[in-house]
Amino acid sequence: MDALVLNGVTKRFGERTAVDALSFAVKPGEIFGFLGGNGAGKTTSLRMVLDIVRPTAGRISVLGCPPGRENAADLGFMPEERGLYRGMSAIDTVTYFGRLKGMSAVAARAKGHALLDRFGLAASAKMQIDKLSKGMAQKVQLAATLVNGPKLLLLDEPFSGLDPVNQGLLEHEILEAARGGATVVFSTHVMQHAERLCDRLLLLSQGRKVFEGTQAEARGRLPARLTIVARDTPMRCPGVERAEPGAVDAQGWSDYDVTLAEGIDPADVLQCLTEQGVTLRRFDQYRVSLHDVFLHLVGPPPAGLADPAMAEHAA
Amino acid sequence: MTHNILLVAMREFRQITGMRSFWLTLLILPLALAVGPIASRLTQSEKTQRVMLIDADGRAAAAIRARLDTDYQRRVLTALSRYAQRYGLDRADPGALWAQHDRLFGDADVATFAKAGGLPAALAAMRPATTSETPKFDAPEADFVVLPTPPAIARAAPGALDAQLKPLLRPGEFGDKTAKPLDYAVYVPRGFGVQTADVRLWSSEQPGANFVQPLQTVLTQDLRTAYLESTGLARDQARTATSLVPAIAVSTPAPGGGRERMLVRSVVPLLSAYILLMSLLLSGNWILQGLVEERSNKLIETVLACISPDELLYGKLAGTVAVGLTMVLVWGLCATGAAVATQGAVGAFLHVALAPLASPWIILVMLYFFLAGYLMVSMILLAIGAMSDSMRDAQSYLTPVLLVIAMPFTVVAQGVLSNSGATAIKVLTWIPIYTPFTMLARLGSGVSTMEIVGSGVLLAVFIGIEFVLLARVFRASLLNAGQKPNLAALARLMQRTPA
Repeated sequence: MDALVLNGVTKRFGERTAVDALSFAVKPGEIFGFLGGNGAGKTTSLRMVLDIVRPTAGRISVLGCPPGRENAADLGFMPEERGLYRGMSAIDTVTYFGRLKGMSAVAARAKGHALLDRFGLAASAKMQIDKLSKGMAQKVQLAATLVNGPKLLLLDEPFSGLDPVNQGLLEHEILEAARGGATVVFSTHVMQHAERLCDRLLLLSQGRKVFEGTQAEARGRLPARLTIVARDTPMRCPGVERAEPGAVDAQGWSDYDVTLAEGIDPADVLQCLTEQGVTLRRFDQYRVSLHDVFLHLVGPPPAGLADPAMAEHAA
Repeated sequence: MTHNILLVAMREFRQITGMRSFWLTLLILPLALAVGPIASRLTQSEKTQRVMLIDADGRAAAAIRARLDTDYQRRVLTALSRYAQRYGLDRADPGALWAQHDRLFGDADVATFAKAGGLPAALAAMRPATTSETPKFDAPEADFVVLPTPPAIARAAPGALDAQLKPLLRPGEFGDKTAKPLDYAVYVPRGFGVQTADVRLWSSEQPGANFVQPLQTVLTQDLRTAYLESTGLARDQARTATSLVPAIAVSTPAPGGGRERMLVRSVVPLLSAYILLMSLLLSGNWILQGLVEERSNKLIETVLACISPDELLYGKLAGTVAVGLTMVLVWGLCATGAAVATQGAVGAFLHVALAPLASPWIILVMLYFFLAGYLMVSMILLAIGAMSDSMRDAQSYLTPVLLVIAMPFTVVAQGVLSNSGATAIKVLTWIPIYTPFTMLARLGSGVSTMEIVGSGVLLAVFIGIEFVLLARVFRASLLNAGQKPNLAALARLMQRTPA
């Protein structure tokens, strides 16, 4: 049984379609990346999974059940915009959310203490949230998400606003949760996290799915590129679509920017060149990043709507 | 569902009662009520006025002094009679003057009272009938005290009296800031009643009827006696003729009865209406703060992932009502403490004041309207909180709402106490947002069962509709940050069941 299934799910707000006929399935124990720019429909999709908003059309199955608070005991959710009750202590906060997810007070408190201890907050467990640093409060938030040992972890832009230490902690916790058998679905528009964590990913653009698959499959969507330094053109090898020569030095060596046809393995080109006796001084394979795939599939953000995170990444 | 509602309610309750401002605000009301009478007593000026009598013959001064004393003793006797009647002390001496409550006491009665030993003797006679619950008799303060006339003033020529009396009437103007001013000075010329010289009265301010009237009575009696004597009537006969007064039988409600009784019986219901209003005004801010914090801290989404908006709403309502009832409980404990500490008069007052609560039906009615009022207004406040991103936003909605709710309260309280404006108050009773306050306020003065049930049902229907409509606003607004709906948008939210 899949941990999460969306089947033809559409959500409209008035005239605007936020999510358009979205279908995908996440297997148990999988880390699933939900990628897309701002306004792509990621948060709305997660809210529908949590039954915070209802789909206009389509069907959702969460751990084999329809969306609803009945699933709360098995779910862990961290929203993009986070906050805590400022007047509550760290341990009371974690216990409160544990109890809202159906835990007993004793179990929630015990698990809360264990998590805070693991996150280095044992000494601050009884401190009020407004007395904690932002980084410490972020850890409390994470503890509140994990307190019930969720089977399905839904994280909406979990890395946004986290300091590097807490980003590392969160990555570790995501991997730990998956190792423990939990399914993790997280949305992000920062591709490095997805590259490091995701088993599979889904790309969303303007509410529509534009890709679903593994990272290798995603990269396969872009033709491979090579940088070659040789005296002869590599155009004679099959699969080489384009080879732009650069400046030629005194010994006749030239830089070639080579573009391969889709599905061509660079190793085959190397073999071909060797067999043809082409002497090489350099053979660099340019590894396609998810960012490139994203730009290739989704296109650059419209002018004026540039995503700072993407811009930063691109830079 | 109940589990989650209780969890939210408990958190809400703990958050509000954990605030220092909650307890400070909560204790302000009993403190103000306790400090008020003490401050009023401290700032109250002395009631006894100071009088100086300048009488060349000495005859009129004695008569004025006697009159003032007789009037004061009459007040003491009247107060004593009411005291005996209120606390059932007549049985100690049914024949005593103070055991007669059906007539105005004349001069002869006062003379008899004085002759029998006055107040000390009367209190001693009552003692066997008193119990530990009987409060101490608080004798009325004397209206006037007659000061001895300084020899210089007594000997001064009439023309020099103005200059002599000014420093006594207005000592502040003459550099003596500590001296108590003289309130009245009366000059009775030599040969008054025989010759036609004017009596003169100096007063530190506009003379009061309570002094001028007895003065006129004494001097008129003196003039008439002199006149009758001049016509050949014997002195004793002339005196008797001028002091004749009619005997007046009086029928009044017993102390604590009639209008006084109605007023006292209205105290607890009125107070409960006032407490409902106060607790709503005070807790309104805390209710909003909680919800605005959840919205501005982006907590709502995390909470809504675990519980439904309805559970959040009902939990908040339950927590809010618990806070309100805690406030009422604390105030009730303060009142009980005050009653125990003061006992006596307060106890007797409470006995009458709590009489309307003797019936379980009335207790039920009060509880119903109190809780209904709390729910009705709290629901409005929660809808406001759900629409507001900040306390500033919330205040802009809250102020007009609370003004509309609180404004007619003064009219209702005055109307109930003065038994006037009955039609206006009856109309307000049937307007649901005013029903709890008006009905609570009116319970002491008697409301028909028909009216209680009718307005109660109407209120329940109103709250039901309010719950359906405002719950829609609440649900739809929870995640709508940055959108401040106008009236049209609000109406649309009420019509729509959120997806």
